[in-house]
Amino acid sequence: MGQIHAKEITSEERPTLDEEDPALHKHVFDGNNPVKVEHVHIDGLGRTKDDLVIRHMKDVLQAKTFKEVIQRTGEAKVKLEGLGVFKSVGVFIDTSKGDGSSAKGLDVTFNVKETRRLTGSAHTAVGNNEGSLVLGAKLPNTFGRAESLVAEYSRGTKHSSGFNVMLVKPIGQEFDKRLRGSVFKSSADYAPSSYRETGRGVTLDFTFPSFVGMSELQWEGVWRELSCLTRTASFATREQSGHSLKSSLKHTLTRDTRDERIYPSEGYLLKLSQEVAGYTGGDVKFWKEQIQLQVNKSLFWNCVLSGSLQGGVMKGISDTEVRLNDRFFVGGPTTVRGFNIHGLGPHTQGDYQGGEAFWAGALHLYTPLPFIKAGRGGFGDVFRTHFFVNAGNLTTLDTNNMFAWEDHLQKLRQNFRWSYGAGLVLRIGSIARFELNYCMPQAAQATDSICQGLQFGIGVNFL
Amino acid sequence: MSTLVQQAAEIHNNGSDTGGQPQIPENVELYQPYEGNQITLPEKAQCLAVKAFLKMCDIPFHIMLRSNAEQMSPSGAVPFIKAGADIVSEFDPIVEYVSKKGLSLSEELSGGQKSEMKAYMALSINRLYLAEMYLSWNVKETADQKTKQRYGSPYPWPLSLILPYLKQREAISYLKAHNSWQDFLPDQVYDEVNLCCKALSDKLGGEQYFFLDRPTELDALVYGHLKTLQMMEAEDKRLADMVNKYPTLVHFCDRIRDRYFIERERSR
Repeated sequence: MGQIHAKEITSEERPTLDEEDPALHKHVFDGNNPVKVEHVHIDGLGRTKDDLVIRHMKDVLQAKTFKEVIQRTGEAKVKLEGLGVFKSVGVFIDTSKGDGSSAKGLDVTFNVKETRRLTGSAHTAVGNNEGSLVLGAKLPNTFGRAESLVAEYSRGTKHSSGFNVMLVKPIGQEFDKRLRGSVFKSSADYAPSSYRETGRGVTLDFTFPSFVGMSELQWEGVWRELSCLTRTASFATREQSGHSLKSSLKHTLTRDTRDERIYPSEGYLLKLSQEVAGYTGGDVKFWKEQIQLQVNKSLFWNCVLSGSLQGGVMKGISDTEVRLNDRFFVGGPTTVRGFNIHGLGPHTQGDYQGGEAFWAGALHLYTPLPFIKAGRGGFGDVFRTHFFVNAGNLTTLDTNNMFAWEDHLQKLRQNFRWSYGAGLVLRIGSIARFELNYCMPQAAQATDSICQGLQFGIGVNFL
Repeated sequence: MSTLVQQAAEIHNNGSDTGGQPQIPENVELYQPYEGNQITLPEKAQCLAVKAFLKMCDIPFHIMLRSNAEQMSPSGAVPFIKAGADIVSEFDPIVEYVSKKGLSLSEELSGGQKSEMKAYMALSINRLYLAEMYLSWNVKETADQKTKQRYGSPYPWPLSLILPYLKQREAISYLKAHNSWQDFLPDQVYDEVNLCCKALSDKLGGEQYFFLDRPTELDALVYGHLKTLQMMEAEDKRLADMVNKYPTLVHFCDRIRDRYFIERERSR
């Protein structure tokens, strides 16, 4: 159900058909037969509004030949499925019947089955270095135009918890733009810096395609409460305790030409983001620029060479100090391997304080598992081995002399950390991955928290 | 409260075991909210009491004003002191901490006097504190026009509304937990203050200090609370008059102020 099987009869096949059974030929439509689509029926619409589906049917009605009808109904079916409001979409094409139907007339019937009004889910999710259980409820197609209302509650393995209620609405002619509003609460412990953060807030975002890639424009208003995890937390962390209100505008541009997200073999990913906080209210004021680049090149024997580079810089606006929970942190199995999570960079009394500028780079050589053939859906597709070299640095900036680029570059260059190693990569589904690496840190500072030997990482975004 | 004392003692023990000779580190800093437009009445009294205590012990300290002093404090209450790596919050734990370092204002007191002092601290001072909490958070007019405005002043909207509201709820449940003080009528609370003042005035009599010829923790606490009530004259005249009715207490406050807050500063 829900699939179209059709193919054009090639000139070699036709004579054989003719020879075997001349009677059959009459019923075979030639792909180039001129036809006219007279009616399009859509069966099974309940709460879905008509205008949502009608706009996708226009192309089908304009098809001139049988081949076009097949092609366009196929496209329309994919579009209908893409709305996410139907459980299944089936297509049935028949000659027109009834009064006034012409010999060339065709009727196209779409059999759709709507999703249930309320769906529930319980699944485990993987954030960066933390697993969590997510319980969710979803009202798909809430108001009949492909909107969805989603509520989720999650609880993580490291004392994190949160809930999120969001309403997503696709808009535009092609439904390729998306508006999303959400209300959330989340809290998590940041042990390397000895603090716990609880955030309650609202986000509004608008995602739209542009000629360079996907753009996302987001406004976030969040009340953050920061508290010390222990009585022995460093004084620098203690000084950051308290309430703050962040209202920020953020623009993210993503251009992704990779053929696959977890094990890409070709293509690149470029992600640029700018965030400005403070102009729209709140007492948190900074600007922040971040870049992420990943380039993949496939070599001989299914080996892939992959290079990644990340960097970021931020500054407090009008002489405000950048808060601990806004700063950059580097280190850990998903960024610079060979260092513990956030275990790199400025440090006081046992707590990592983060920095206002960072860079991190990595070069990977991914190879298939030895002796196991990578095939379709086999064991070898799930695993890869990789060899890597990665490096990075995190530093505070002298914000009084923001334009002393030479000094900043010098700071980022000197005492940078690097490590190399090898390991096993396992993909989990199509978005997350798991790594078990043997790391050899080569350059570190005395206050860094290094992880020599086996390091285990799980996450969505990897350096 | 007792757990705080224990925790403070633990922090202290950890420090002194490794440090050898117990000694108050040189750089003592006292953290409190901004005096001008942020600090609330009960907080101001607690801060002044600790300051008086430190002055009486002759421990030099710097006052550090932070709008997030309350959240910085390990116990969630102001003031707290930072002595070297040690952080101790609130009056009782600070007294305990200082005495562990070999400085005590009440060591010359006899056993009986010590328990009498503890009784006054528990009865009179706790009552004064409850009255301050009641008058600043549970009297609608004062809470809305003064206390909440002050408490929310460092924050942007809407936190300037949410945080004072949450603090008020906390204060009211604190009052509820102490013999249902939130059900009292304002007149009853003023009567309680009056009773406290009378008891303290009677105890003081014609003496300079409550015990012997030198100040103790009780003197610091009494000064902190009564002086704050006096200073709040502009906001609550009735409260200030309650103290001013007792000349012994007025003289006592003036004496402590002159001796520890004015003369000390001049001689430095």
